[in-house]
Amino acid sequence: MTRRDLIHKWSVYALGLLIIWVLDAYILPRYPLLGVSPMLLPPALAAVAVLEGAYAGTGFGLAVGLLWELAYPGGFGALVIFMALAGMATGGLSQYALSQSLPGCLLCSAGVLALLDGLRVARGLITNAAELPALLQVALPECLLSLAWTPLVYLLFRSIYRRVGGTKLA
Amino acid sequence: MKDFFRQNGILLVVIALLLSILIGVGSAFLGGNSDPLSNVFNAVTAPIRGGISAVTGWAEGVYTYVFHYGELHDELDQLRARVAELESEVRDGQEASRENEQLRELLALQARRRDFVFESARVTARSTSNWASTLTLSKGTSAGVEVGDCVITETGELVGVVSEAGLNWSTVSTVINTDIEMGGIVTRTHSAGILEGDFALMGEGRLKLSYLPDGAQLVSGDEVLTSGKGDVYPSGLVVGQVEGVFTDPSGMTRYAVVVPAVQFDSLIEVFVIKDFDIVE
Repeated sequence: MTRRDLIHKWSVYALGLLIIWVLDAYILPRYPLLGVSPMLLPPALAAVAVLEGAYAGTGFGLAVGLLWELAYPGGFGALVIFMALAGMATGGLSQYALSQSLPGCLLCSAGVLALLDGLRVARGLITNAAELPALLQVALPECLLSLAWTPLVYLLFRSIYRRVGGTKLA
Repeated sequence: MKDFFRQNGILLVVIALLLSILIGVGSAFLGGNSDPLSNVFNAVTAPIRGGISAVTGWAEGVYTYVFHYGELHDELDQLRARVAELESEVRDGQEASRENEQLRELLALQARRRDFVFESARVTARSTSNWASTLTLSKGTSAGVEVGDCVITETGELVGVVSEAGLNWSTVSTVINTDIEMGGIVTRTHSAGILEGDFALMGEGRLKLSYLPDGAQLVSGDEVLTSGKGDVYPSGLVVGQVEGVFTDPSGMTRYAVVVPAVQFDSLIEVFVIKDFDIVE
């Protein structure tokens, strides 16, 4: 795979991420379901990491974390490293333990979402922001709704993968 | 014929004179209404005039269409451009009218609270997370906006508090956000409490008025204002209305669920209170 092919491939993935970001940041929050809107960036990370493996997953995770920190208010930098590590772990799992398929992506996505919201719940408890039931009342519907969106996100990135993913451009 | 006119000329003049007098007298007596003769004449000839007018109009239309098609086309283009221009002006006018209305409201608020120093800002983004309710504004530290400044609407309804300020942007935690904590007071009963965001209520767009006094008799619809206690935030800003009163899970204190007065989704322009007088 030439340098040009590599740039082409990741440009198309970036375009896919852009679509997900617009949906996540500007469209879906306008139509919350029972007061909850889904998080699409973790499923996007899981989908790409599952399809492309640990190394690419780390890079994509870094990009997703950076986007999350810069484009969304209230970030403090931790998401960049968290998403990069999540990408690496997800890619590694799919390569060596799970399959590069939708069930694998769903499992990885559930793991990333659970870890992310678990950390938020833990932070809420440590800072005494609220009681556990109140925090879970936000975290659980968010995880479930985000998981429900995972197949669509996976389909988008799989269609990109089928055209330019892996070493297809080589 | 010549002889006829020569012989009856005087008669004709007399008839003409009589008719003139008749019409004149008729007009004078009918006061502004047409005289009977004119009325009859016009009534009889009206259909004829209408027919002639229609025919000439049609002929003129055909002529113009055949010989001035290019001009018509140009005129149509000009008219289209003009309509677009006018529509744009109408939009500008509506925007100016809305802004004018807002400024009038703000002027009324300014008259009531002369100590407030405002900075207007536009809402450029809204939060997308289930864990926080924030807005991003178009003004930042370069306009004097600082962390902790209150943000209100033109009618004095509290939107939230600036939680982060960049050079030309700032983030506002809305009143339902969980990091909000300020003194609140119920105007009817003067019951004071602490206004705070709550994870369980944020999804429903509500906040809490906690630590209510034991004897507080609140009812649904009671207005809640900021109390200004602690001198961090101004007093008298409208927060919302009481929806219901509940007992804390511990059973020790009671709290009221407050519906914010502001519709966060429909905010376009807000005002940051950069300075205010602390009332001791």
